[in-house]
Amino acid sequence: MKRLTIKSIFIIANFVFFQNRIAAQVINWGNQNYQGRHLLNATLGTDYGITAGLGYHYRISLRKFPVWIGSELSIPAGNELADDYKFKLGAQIRIATIHHFLLSARIQAISRRYHNQSVRLFNFGSDFAGTIGYYQKRWFMGVETGFDKAIVTNFKHSEWYRKNIYNEVQDGWYEPATGGNFYYGLQGGLSIKKVDFSIKVEKVLQQDFKSKPLLPLIGQFGVNFKF
Amino acid sequence: MKNTPIIYLTLIIVSLFSFSCTENRYVDEPGNLVPKTVDQDVALPSISVNGALLHSEAFGPRDSTLIVCIHGGPGGDYRYMLNCKSLATKGFRVVFYDQRGSGLSQRFPKNWYKSQGSNAINKIFYDELKGIIYHYRTAASQKVILLGQSWGAMLATGYSGKYPHDVDGLIVAEPGGLEWQDVMDYISRSRSFKLWGEALNDATYIDQFMTGKENQHEILDYKAGLISSTNTIVGDVGAKLGSNAPNYVASRSGAVVNAASYELGQDTKPDFSAGINQFTKKVLFIYSSKNKAYPDIWAAKMSSVYNNKEIFKAEGVGHSGMLDQIDFWTTIMEPKIIAYIKSL
Repeated sequence: MKRLTIKSIFIIANFVFFQNRIAAQVINWGNQNYQGRHLLNATLGTDYGITAGLGYHYRISLRKFPVWIGSELSIPAGNELADDYKFKLGAQIRIATIHHFLLSARIQAISRRYHNQSVRLFNFGSDFAGTIGYYQKRWFMGVETGFDKAIVTNFKHSEWYRKNIYNEVQDGWYEPATGGNFYYGLQGGLSIKKVDFSIKVEKVLQQDFKSKPLLPLIGQFGVNFKF
Repeated sequence: MKNTPIIYLTLIIVSLFSFSCTENRYVDEPGNLVPKTVDQDVALPSISVNGALLHSEAFGPRDSTLIVCIHGGPGGDYRYMLNCKSLATKGFRVVFYDQRGSGLSQRFPKNWYKSQGSNAINKIFYDELKGIIYHYRTAASQKVILLGQSWGAMLATGYSGKYPHDVDGLIVAEPGGLEWQDVMDYISRSRSFKLWGEALNDATYIDQFMTGKENQHEILDYKAGLISSTNTIVGDVGAKLGSNAPNYVASRSGAVVNAASYELGQDTKPDFSAGINQFTKKVLFIYSSKNKAYPDIWAAKMSSVYNNKEIFKAEGVGHSGMLDQIDFWTTIMEPKIIAYIKSL
């Protein structure tokens, strides 16, 4: 476990150090006129719970390709707001354009936390997605598909759990991967000057392509502000 | 610095793939997150019934009146009923068993349950209960009392309706529903989530941390256990067993048998009250004051199917509290049950 922990620290340090340079969300690649280098975004929707999120992204150019890099933090609703969260760091890159049709890819590292009466989980994961869409200056729509993998998870059980459910439960890091979900769906939006309004609706399927999570839909309303 | 973005992206990608399996600990390994079952741990008390190895034990004089404790679920276990063990010191033979696929009993794949067809409830649960009674009964004259809670009360009612002459006494504690529509009504009331509440979030958010295939029992059982461990609606606060607790803490929610049972129920719409009008002996019907999903009007409706009954409201406890709270059990419930059995 020691080597794993060192690797985890390396990854966290790596991402924290570069956090102002990586990630993304639903972006209108066609709205170039008001596309500044900075983007703030807020989201509200369902993402394995009723969630709200905030993000910051920074645009760079990788040779001919624009790349948004940055971070997003979302938390689910509940009585204890800070006990669960998801933090993403990564990049979204425009790969190819034919007229107004555009292919983009997103790669993000995830750290997330879950806590209830029985256990605290802390997970490192990854999220890869591709989007094909039609992008105009004032509106856009596209289809996205991706895979969210829970690569390694730390379990820490409560005394309550040990006293009432299972006293020999094993705490610590669990790998290989503890879970994974595919998602696919539609996204679209409107752009008004420096602001993008977006909607995303996606279906979630577990990695066996058969089982579904309890909340099998990702639905998100987002607002981007570019400056 | 022209290549700086490329360096950053390379670092991200390298980081994402740098998790390697240096020392693996598997979520689906028996004993890691959920306890081992009787087929995985020979030290656990077990019996073989109808081709399944069941976690089971009995206390008290072998030839005295048999009290068979039937747990809730489907998929629960008998641990929370262990206060009933004290009836053994009052001269009764008290039997506990985890149903097939539940608790620490042997698991079966989902398609095994589904393959039992239209008569599945009968084949899986009634035949098993019959096998349990057969296993522990020492003589035909030995009286048999069924004591079921929640789903166990539904099962006990169904069995008594099917074999009214084989049961000498019936104690039912909060059967959720007896006709299928009532079962669904009760489930929806007892497990409703507030949209913005912590309980909903606790149930759904974990699906991005752990996913399990249809028969990855350990993963599914663990997740089911996390969801079912708290339910403020029904007023349960966690079992208090005192000296009745065994020296190990090992509960397991049987997610596969639970899911399969509900699917079978949807397919076959079982009526657990079928034939209960043939059961003429007195029934002790218990419900609790703290279960918000079980108001007086629901208790009146559920108890109406029994011809001859004594209704008892357990004040100050929830759905399982009449059995799993040692103080209530010792002062109120155990004397009530003994008085009921003596009245038969």
